[in-house]
Amino acid sequence: MSQLSSTLVQLASGLRFTLGIFFLTLLFSIPLGLLVARGRMSKNKIVAGLVRIYISVMRGTPLMLQLLLVYFGPYYMFGVKLADLDVGPFKYRFVATVIGFSLNYAAYFAEIFRGGIQSMPVGQYEAAQILGFNKAQTFFRIILPQVVKRVLPSVTNEVITLVKDTSLAQVLAVTEMFTMAKNLASSQVSVVPFIVAGVFYYVMNGIIEIVMNRAEKSMNYYS
Amino acid sequence: MGVLEMKNIRKSFDSLQVLKGIDLEVKKGEVVAVIGPSGGGKSTLLRCATTLEKIDSGSIIIAGETLVSTSNSGLTHYTDKKKLQEIRSKFGLVFQNFNLFPHFSVRRNITEALIHVYKKSREEADAICDSLLAKFDLSSKADSFPCNLSGGQQQRVSIARAMAVNPEILFFDEPTSALDPELTSGVLKVIRELAEEKMTMVIVTHEMAFARDVADKIVFMDGGVIVEQGPDVISNPCNERTREFLSKF
Repeated sequence: MSQLSSTLVQLASGLRFTLGIFFLTLLFSIPLGLLVARGRMSKNKIVAGLVRIYISVMRGTPLMLQLLLVYFGPYYMFGVKLADLDVGPFKYRFVATVIGFSLNYAAYFAEIFRGGIQSMPVGQYEAAQILGFNKAQTFFRIILPQVVKRVLPSVTNEVITLVKDTSLAQVLAVTEMFTMAKNLASSQVSVVPFIVAGVFYYVMNGIIEIVMNRAEKSMNYYS
Repeated sequence: MGVLEMKNIRKSFDSLQVLKGIDLEVKKGEVVAVIGPSGGGKSTLLRCATTLEKIDSGSIIIAGETLVSTSNSGLTHYTDKKKLQEIRSKFGLVFQNFNLFPHFSVRRNITEALIHVYKKSREEADAICDSLLAKFDLSSKADSFPCNLSGGQQQRVSIARAMAVNPEILFFDEPTSALDPELTSGVLKVIRELAEEKMTMVIVTHEMAFARDVADKIVFMDGGVIVEQGPDVISNPCNERTREFLSKF
């Protein structure tokens, strides 16, 4: 029993990193995704083309490889030593993880947002234009709130995937929950740490489902 | 001088010429009905007048302000962005399919532009909104959302939204085409009331009886040109094409 409680305590300490990666990635990748979506729809063909390549590469290569590239790239390619560099309280390996995740998830979010924005009827833009709203007002007051409602189910999908993807941070030796579980399992010669970690992930995603369901319901007042 | 002056308007989509030199003048307080077969250029004309489409050549003056002009050398020049916004505040447009903002209540649909574009206080905007809703028989619907209203109510809200900014001219693009006959009458009644108040209006419509009753001038368009215009086009058409079109009603 004491082994189980120590397992819980140690996994919970790994949970900080898991949650850290999760929340920071959402914080950065959602606004970035919106920006990337705008770039993808840009009338400037060069911008649209570059953004298209970015999305293609981010979606077409493994996230694990991207993480390694963000972490080792600066040194291997340019001789810049960042590995020992800490940003505030965060080790560079953690910072690199968040950068890698954010760049990757922004690409997926961008395509979801683009789908939502392009599904908006042109009449909404026309009505806004006639009423005198400028482009920014039209986007933030009229279009975006409706887009949020449309894309929420797809966003929920990505957010749930992100929870599980945080385990990839182990390639940069970030001691997030999954790394912890692996270490514990081998030292205890037991699958219990894996099961406990599984429960942790599942509970997190359960909470996400509840939160996102509420968010969807809160927007049910119109159709 | 007219509230709307359109001269020699030409507009093509790719190789298809949709407007082939249209002249249209609307005087203050005048109600103009634009009728004609589908594909004849009625809606395009309205969209050009309301800046939703750009013309290839010609000139448009709204409430004394030049929106676009073509020089003698054939260069068509639109006014700058700032002036464009100013001109847009002079007219309103009512769409066939309403285009209300579904995430806003009726009240917010009407007040949002007043507050954020016209910089009126919330109290002022609410007062304008309340008087328009009372006028259009919608007072009980201020806090409803568009999806909970009938088509006729939605269209009346969209007329109220267009009227809120106190335009000098109001355009209607087939305002009753998306409504069943029962709901149509309520919308037509509202437009009739506006006509009695001498609101300047241009109405693209397929409602012939309504057009005949309410309009001071009827414009029959076909094939990208104005075939015939005048006060009695519907009751007493001169042109063979007009007669043929009207005989189908």
